[in-house]
Amino acid sequence: MEYVEKRVAQEAAKGAEATNSLFTPLNLMLLGLFVFTVYSFVKPQAPAALPKEEPAVVFKTFTPRTLLPFNGENNMPVYLAVRGRVFDVTRGRNFYGPGGPYANFAGRDASRGLACGSFDEEMLTKDLGGPLDTLADLGREELEALQGWEDRFSEKYLVVGKLVAEEKE
Amino acid sequence: MGFFDNIMLGLDEAITGLFGQWNLYTSAIFTIFAGFLAYQIAARQDPDTHPLLLARQAQASPVRHEGESPVYRSQAAPHGMPLNTGLSVKDPGASKWARGRDGDLRDVWRQAVAGVQEDGPSKGATGRILTVLGTENVTEYPLDDITRQINLIGQHILDQGGNRVAIYLPNSVELIVTLFACAFYNMTAVILPFDQPDDAVISMLRRSAADTVVTAPGSFPFDIVVKNYPSLRQLIWVVDEGSKHMDWNEVPQGTGGSVNVSTWQDIVNDSPVDAGKDLPPIEGQKEPRDVTIFWQSKPGTAEEMVRFTSANIMSAIAALLFSVPTSQRMGPSDLFLPADSLANTHTLVLTLGALYSNASVAFNSVAVQANDLAIATRGIAPTIIVATPAALLKTHQESGGSLTSLVARNLHWLQTRSLTQNGVMPVAGLLSSYYDRFRPALGSKPGKLRLIFTAERIGAETPRLSSTVLSDLRALAGARIMYALTAPKVAGAVTQTNFYDYRAFDDECSHFGPPLTSTEIMLKDTDEHKNTDALSKGEIFVRGPCVAGSEAALNVAGVIRDDNTLAYV
Repeated sequence: MEYVEKRVAQEAAKGAEATNSLFTPLNLMLLGLFVFTVYSFVKPQAPAALPKEEPAVVFKTFTPRTLLPFNGENNMPVYLAVRGRVFDVTRGRNFYGPGGPYANFAGRDASRGLACGSFDEEMLTKDLGGPLDTLADLGREELEALQGWEDRFSEKYLVVGKLVAEEKE
Repeated sequence: MGFFDNIMLGLDEAITGLFGQWNLYTSAIFTIFAGFLAYQIAARQDPDTHPLLLARQAQASPVRHEGESPVYRSQAAPHGMPLNTGLSVKDPGASKWARGRDGDLRDVWRQAVAGVQEDGPSKGATGRILTVLGTENVTEYPLDDITRQINLIGQHILDQGGNRVAIYLPNSVELIVTLFACAFYNMTAVILPFDQPDDAVISMLRRSAADTVVTAPGSFPFDIVVKNYPSLRQLIWVVDEGSKHMDWNEVPQGTGGSVNVSTWQDIVNDSPVDAGKDLPPIEGQKEPRDVTIFWQSKPGTAEEMVRFTSANIMSAIAALLFSVPTSQRMGPSDLFLPADSLANTHTLVLTLGALYSNASVAFNSVAVQANDLAIATRGIAPTIIVATPAALLKTHQESGGSLTSLVARNLHWLQTRSLTQNGVMPVAGLLSSYYDRFRPALGSKPGKLRLIFTAERIGAETPRLSSTVLSDLRALAGARIMYALTAPKVAGAVTQTNFYDYRAFDDECSHFGPPLTSTEIMLKDTDEHKNTDALSKGEIFVRGPCVAGSEAALNVAGVIRDDNTLAYV
C-alpha cells in the first residue's frame, strides 16, 4: 500500500508534462498495430488448393511373363489375372500378397484356380510362354464360381491391364 | 530493494510512462481501430460454397490408357454410375418413388403448360411467354394460345405432307412453336441459323433435305430458293403485324408453282376457335424424332450439320438444369431471356430448360445481331439471360470505362475482393448503393438479374473471356456467371464453370469448369501435347448421352488444371 501511494504521488507530480503530440511512442505503436491488422485482412490470399491426386495407373498389356514380377514381393503391387483381365489387388495384400492364403495367384493367371476353388500350384499355367488357359474343360458350376469371383473383383478392384499370350517368334 | 523489485519498479514506470502519453489522438486511433475490428467481425460472411469444393471440381478415373489422360467426370456423376440421361419425367398418377422417363420435347411443353408439380407455395404456377418489340411493346402469349398454335401449325404442315421442317427465323415464339409442333406431329425439325447469305441458306436446305420452310418475309430469298432447290414443297411465312394486310399466299408468276405457300397468321386465324386446344395424347405417341442443327464456325466456312436425337437434347437439358444448385434453380419467379441465337444448342437447351422449369421466357429478335445486352434487355427485367461472350465483353468495356473516379474504383475493388477472396456474392448494402450507378443497365429494373449463361464456341472465334473479366462482370452486373465450353456435336455444353466459382486467375481465357453430369472428357496425345502422370494435356474428347454419336473429338487442345477444370492450352 505504501508503495502504491508513493507511486501515485510520483505520477501526480509530473502530471502536467503530458504531451499532446500525434507522434508519441504510444500512438506510433497503436498506429503500427492498426496498419498491420488492416494489411492482414486485406492481403490477397491464393485460392484454396488440395494436394495433387495420385496419378492414374496406365492401362497395360501383360503377358504371363511380364505379369510375374507383380507378386507383391520387393514392394511391387499385387496383380492377378482373371480371364484376360488384370486386377490390381494390392489393397487385398493380406490375402493375395506374399504369405497370404492366395499368394500363389499373385502375378499369375488365377482363372482356373478360382474356378475350381483350389489354391494349388498345379492350377497355374506352367508354360509362361505358351497360350493362355482357355478353361475349355471346365464345367458349368466351375464357370459360375469363376463368374462370381470376377464380379467381386470388378466391384472391389481396378482393372489395370489385360493379359495376352506371348507372341510366337 | 532486491533485484526483482527493481525490475518490477522499472516495468511499472515504463508502463505508466507509456500510457501516460495517452492523448486525444490516441483515443481517436483506438476508436477507429476498434471500429474496424468490429466491422470486420460483424460484416463477415461465410463463402457461398466451401472453398475446397472448388479446389477439385472433377473426378479423374483411377486408370488411364497409354497416350490418354484419365477420364474426367463431374463430382455429381461418379465413375461407374450412368451419366445424366434425361429429365426423369413422371407421368401423372405414377408412384412418387418411381424413376421417371427421360422424356422428350413433348414433355417439356406439357410441363410448361401443367405448371409446377412439386408441393409448395408455387404449386401449379406456370411461366409466361413474352415477346419484346422495341422498348415498350411487350406482348404476352397465353400458354393455351401457344398450345393451339402448336396443334394448328403441326397439323397443317403434316396435312400438306411435310416431313422435314426447316425453321429459318430469328429468336421468336414462332421458332419454339414450330419446334414443338414438329415434336408433337412427328416431323424432323431443322433449325437454321438466321440471317445467312442466300447460298448458305440453299446449301443448308439441300444438306438437311428439308421439304418445308417456316420463315419470315424479307429475310428468306424465296425466288432463288425455289429456283435452286426444287425439293421445297411447302412454305409458311411468319408475317409481322404491320404487313398482315398483304396477300402473302400469292406466288409470283412463273416461280414456285409447286410450292404450297401459306402464312402463319392465316393458318391460326382461319381455323375454328375451338380447334387444336388439346395436345395429342401421351398414350400411343410415336418415338420422338431427331432435331438437326447447323453449327456455324468462322464466317465463310461451311456450317457443320449435326443431328441430335431427342435423347441427346433431353440429357443436355437435364444436365444444364442440374448444374444450378437446388436453392438457385430456375422457377416460376424467373424471367429467362435468350439473348443469343436459338440456333445454338446451348441457348436452345437452356430455353427448353427454362420452359420445363416453368420460368417465364421472353423472346427478343434484336438481341442476337446487336450483341448489345443493354438493347436486348430493354423493356423487361430478366433474372436469367443467355448472352454471347462478345456482348458481355462489350458490357464490360462500357461499364468498366465508367469506373474512373477514385471512389468508384475502390468500391469496385471491394466488390471484387468479396467475390474472389471471400467467395461471397456481394449483397446490396450501404456502400453498394453508391456503386449501383456504375452498373450496366441490364433490364428495366436494376438488381433483378441473377444469372448469366455464356459459352465459348469451339472454332467459332468467339472472343474469350478471362477470369478477371468474368469477375468484373459478376461485380458489375451483380449476377453470377456460368461460362461453358460448347462444341458442334454436343447438345448443351461440354463443361461449365461452377455456379459458385468466383475465383480470378492471371489468365487470357478463363477455365471452363468441370464436365457437366451428362458428359465425360478425356484428353488424347497430339504431336504437340503429351499426357504424363503429372499433367493431362491433349486434344479434348467428349463422351456422353448428350453427344451426337455418343463420342466426339473437339479438334482443340485442352489441359486439366490443378483444380480439375478444363482450360485451353
